[in-house]
Amino acid sequence: MRVALIGNQNSGKTTLFNLLTGTNQKVGNWPGVTIEKKLGVIRGTDFEIVDLPGVYSLSPYSVEEEISRKFLFEEQIDLILNIVDSTSMERSLYLTTQLLELGIPMIIALNMKDIADKRGIHIDLKTLEERLDTTILSISALKKTNVFNLIQYIKMGDYRKNLYHHIYDHELEDAIESIKLLTHTKHPQFLAVKLIEEDPVFVGFHTDETKKIVDGLAKDYLRDMEQVIADERYRYIENIRDEAVTANRDQMTWTDRLDNILLHRVFAIPIFMIIMFGIYYLAAGPIGAFTAQLVGKYMSSFSDWTRSMLVDFGASPWSVSLVVDGMIAGVGAILNFLPQLAILFLLISLLETTGYMARIAFFLDRIFQKVGLSGKSLIPFIIGSGCSIPAIMSARTINDETEKRMTIMLTPFIPCSAKLPIITLFAGYFFKNNSGLVSASLYFFAIGVIFLSAFIMKKFWFKGKHSSFILELPDYKIPNIKFILFDVFEKVKAFIQQAGSIILLASIIVWFLISFSWTLQYGIDPNQSILASIGKVLGWIFYPMLGTYSWGAAVSAIQGLVAKEQIIASMAIIAGHSETTSEGMLIFGSSVFSFFTPASAYAFMVFNLFSAPCFGSIGAMNKELGSTKRMWQAVIFQTGIAWVLAVLVYQIGHLIEVIL
Amino acid sequence: MKIRALRYHKGDRTKLSNLRKGQKAKVVFLDAEDKALRRRLLDMGITEGVQIKIKKIAPLGDPIDIELRGYELCLRKFDMSLIEVEVIS
Repeated sequence: MRVALIGNQNSGKTTLFNLLTGTNQKVGNWPGVTIEKKLGVIRGTDFEIVDLPGVYSLSPYSVEEEISRKFLFEEQIDLILNIVDSTSMERSLYLTTQLLELGIPMIIALNMKDIADKRGIHIDLKTLEERLDTTILSISALKKTNVFNLIQYIKMGDYRKNLYHHIYDHELEDAIESIKLLTHTKHPQFLAVKLIEEDPVFVGFHTDETKKIVDGLAKDYLRDMEQVIADERYRYIENIRDEAVTANRDQMTWTDRLDNILLHRVFAIPIFMIIMFGIYYLAAGPIGAFTAQLVGKYMSSFSDWTRSMLVDFGASPWSVSLVVDGMIAGVGAILNFLPQLAILFLLISLLETTGYMARIAFFLDRIFQKVGLSGKSLIPFIIGSGCSIPAIMSARTINDETEKRMTIMLTPFIPCSAKLPIITLFAGYFFKNNSGLVSASLYFFAIGVIFLSAFIMKKFWFKGKHSSFILELPDYKIPNIKFILFDVFEKVKAFIQQAGSIILLASIIVWFLISFSWTLQYGIDPNQSILASIGKVLGWIFYPMLGTYSWGAAVSAIQGLVAKEQIIASMAIIAGHSETTSEGMLIFGSSVFSFFTPASAYAFMVFNLFSAPCFGSIGAMNKELGSTKRMWQAVIFQTGIAWVLAVLVYQIGHLIEVIL
Repeated sequence: MKIRALRYHKGDRTKLSNLRKGQKAKVVFLDAEDKALRRRLLDMGITEGVQIKIKKIAPLGDPIDIELRGYELCLRKFDMSLIEVEVIS
């Protein structure tokens, strides 16, 4: 048996899915968290349940909504579990009536009844059940009430059979009946309505006879049939509403009060900037630098301890070097940044679950519109400060193709958590007293680059045309601590896993390349190593932004393609192999990297922040942009911009350094 | 020079984008040429006769948050100018 879980966007589907299956899929408080269908098994049964992306109707507007429609129409589904948001009954029932037309058995889970009660919305379950002829259960996915009963209902198969009710007027109903006789499909009622609406996806199902019926209707109504159907459907729902729902309107809710401040005409944008500045200041600034140093201390004593242990065991010099100077140096350099990443993940998670993110999209839309983006682009940008891959995927909710493509290409510019170690390391060393400010400045730099690039792209690449912005503003919610901690835990785990797999492997390769020469001689001067010779070939690319030929910086930057944090791992390994010129900081105290000045440090950060993202993100871009050619365009565009900006930063910064 | 926006009163017919914060109106006609957009607006409940209240206006004047059918929806002013309404209050 297969159950499909479907409902409006942000109606709590995934929260319910997690309860029903005992899993922990990501939840959030903005429309469009779920962008792909997810499979699970209902607890205590062998029933398969599918969590579908939220939709407002079965006429999709964006890519992720198309997934849901396609699944419902084409796949074999035994039961639909329709989750209805009690606080917006009419809009929810609009989808419900369309689902009923599919002719698949259905149970309605009436969610957020507690919030509706508080707001003075009373729903008469019995009447609603009778009018829709569907089993309805009032639940609270967040407080877990009645979920057990819901599982029982699904298990027993003991639900109403939702025999079809007449929604439309006589002429329409007659037309639907005649069309039903002329088509052959699993969902005759649904298809008939779609044919009358002239839904472009279903025109292939038209026959000459059905076409004649629909044309006849259009002549009789003298209006667009799509509109007639929508009007009739809402009229039918209004009737049900009048019988089953009583609402005490015009109450000042908490959300309204908060919005009076957070969406204030004057204060909204300053508040937003303080919040964003605060997030990056906390994560990348002094606190981040402090925790990184603390962990670094333990890491270096662990490294010393391992070295002496291995030497005591009588391990050969090269194997000691592989473990200590390769594996521990590389992976350890990354793990230093774990505490501050946890802080960043926590803050982003809070932003996602409170409902504030949709508001940011709302009030920044005007600015984004000016450069050809949408307020909705902001959602990928904020998620992108965690990781670009889910961020690029979340751009699916943007329905305008141009805006979506631009957003996908620009999202990697946002410094993701893997770039945070680069920022913390360089800013902490070269701008000691202002490290927080410098770190935050890079985020604002990124925003500037995004606007500039969007402007360039709009001007020369994408033709400007009008687009729409339709977004539901969710209510504010107090975040669920359990979900947030789980979310942070998952991301931290993923980071450690990456460090233990990709970074470890890359570190071993780097260690090998720097320890051996082309003639496979061990124990050589690192300047004679394979790695150095590769770096020397590439050094000229980085000359204009570093002011010197540095093979170490060149090979490290290239490794950013594997993972951005690998840049730091690589630098740590290279530094460990070369002689120390000054005590203290490992990386910048080595002869290979001692050339860095604040100007070249900032330039190097800029290049690594904005150049081509890691392979994972490039893959996501390829998938979401839908063509390899566009992906290459994006990668070349990003790297080009990064190089130009880095060179500019260095040349200007160097000039200032010389004058001072 | 910017011309001061007219104030619309009960019974007037105008575009939804011309209303001020707090005003209520009834939808008379949906004038969207773009089929996908019109479909979306219909799906979101903007059908003939529905009551809409101007709830919040973004700090930069656009988009605008409206209340209808018990929920809140953000629209750009341009899209709102496609919705003809009769002012209620």
